[in-house]
Amino acid sequence: MSDEREITLTVNGTEHTIEVEPRRLLVHAIREDLGMTGTHIGCDTGNCGACTVLVDGEPIKSCLMFAAQADGSEILTVEGMEDLPDAGPELHPLQEGFKEEHGLQCGYCTPGMLMAGKALLEENPDPDEEEIREAISGNLCRCTGYQNIVKAIEYAADELDDAERVAADGGALAADTAGDGGPDPADGPLYEADAGDADTFCGREDCCGGPSTDETHPGEDPPAQFDTEHMGGDDE
Amino acid sequence: MKSAPFEHHEPESVSEAVSLLESLDDPTILAGGQSLVPMLRFRLANPDVVVDINGIDSLEYLREEDGYLKLGALARHADVEDSDLIDERYGSFADTAPLVADPQIRNRGTVVGSVAQADPKGDWGSVLIAHDGEVVVEGPDGERAIPADEFFLLPYDTTLGEEELITEARVPTPADREGSAYHKLKRKTGDYAMAGVAARLRFDDDGRIESAGIGMTAVDITNARASEAEEALEGERPSPELFEEAGELAAEASNPESDEHGDASYKERMVDVLAQRALGDAAERAGAVKRRVTQ
Repeated sequence: MSDEREITLTVNGTEHTIEVEPRRLLVHAIREDLGMTGTHIGCDTGNCGACTVLVDGEPIKSCLMFAAQADGSEILTVEGMEDLPDAGPELHPLQEGFKEEHGLQCGYCTPGMLMAGKALLEENPDPDEEEIREAISGNLCRCTGYQNIVKAIEYAADELDDAERVAADGGALAADTAGDGGPDPADGPLYEADAGDADTFCGREDCCGGPSTDETHPGEDPPAQFDTEHMGGDDE
Repeated sequence: MKSAPFEHHEPESVSEAVSLLESLDDPTILAGGQSLVPMLRFRLANPDVVVDINGIDSLEYLREEDGYLKLGALARHADVEDSDLIDERYGSFADTAPLVADPQIRNRGTVVGSVAQADPKGDWGSVLIAHDGEVVVEGPDGERAIPADEFFLLPYDTTLGEEELITEARVPTPADREGSAYHKLKRKTGDYAMAGVAARLRFDDDGRIESAGIGMTAVDITNARASEAEEALEGERPSPELFEEAGELAAEASNPESDEHGDASYKERMVDVLAQRALGDAAERAGAVKRRVTQ
């Protein structure tokens, strides 16, 4: 009943033709049929985002898509990051950022976080903190409290921006006063909590838990007041 | 966990899909799959046959046509989120899309699939109700339009026939003085609503409310309409007092269950608050009131 069928997936630029059952999930095809275990399976329920990959440039959860549905697609996984055109000699700036900013502890969520970060920077090269938190809101991290993941993505955005400026300047060195390739100390303190920014850690929205949410909270924002002069009509 | 084995069909046209639904034994339709795939994997759904409609390109649209905003069965949540047309004219849709699940799921999941899933915690059913929307279905006997009020029967159960495919969800295009909004309470990104309220208000030239629509999420066995609140609004001028009254009537019409997130009386109170906020936004977007700066 469940005949295997042949599908073609172009993963990180390399075309693979494999035979899969219709029930084969994309994440299993990537990990087991293609042997690329960088893409993780975390929750098995579509919640955690560890299995995030880019399919034709869009981040999706590969545990919520059948491999057969990705037939003919271009897929990017974490293994392909270092070979991207904007990667450095060893790592992609996003990967550098996670290293430099301690954006990981156990590392389980990291491949998915990198993919979500990549999709964000592709669309928005200069995201603010809120936009970064929204972009990674489908990815759970149980170690970092997210703060350093946000910083890692900010680091990558700065690096990519510098690289673009260097390219535009015809190869002149971009501003990097420390000369270490890292973010410029003049940009502000590296550890915001040390600088006494209590909101960073205890603000309700990102307190101890998930990425910030942007929905309103009842009790916080009273119903709107109206200016009756603008309500139209004249019998008041 | 793996799904049980199934036969996978990939029709390329609506007519091909409908003939498959007619001829196959108990088929399940797969669109975005963001609810169905986990259900298959946990074997809460065990179809022998899956009809995957993702290859029907003609269902990929979001447009205004013939007096309706029409969303084809393959319009993803992200398509709504990214649409300028939605931003400009459909406040409730613009509010709802970014509050559905998370970015990855919004890239795959479809509005129509969410409506078809008929989870009472799903957001889009409330939006369709507030806008007097319809689902358009294609079956062996041709096309029919089912009003949103008549579509939802029970959790995960609708009046869709076994051999029918939903091709589209649609709502009437807004009048000049019309606005809509959606407010949703949830604990964190990715959660379903604890409560949600969609509101739509149309005003006459005299500034009175000509027509009102209120749909509620997660506070009854299906997405539900707050009819008494709508009636209380119609014919009146907008004011905080009027919206307070409507909020109370919506709360009375709701029928939430207590759970780990809150007891029923709390959720009723939230319906009241969310309804007032959604009505306030809808009126403001209709250009009928101007929000006073309160700070």
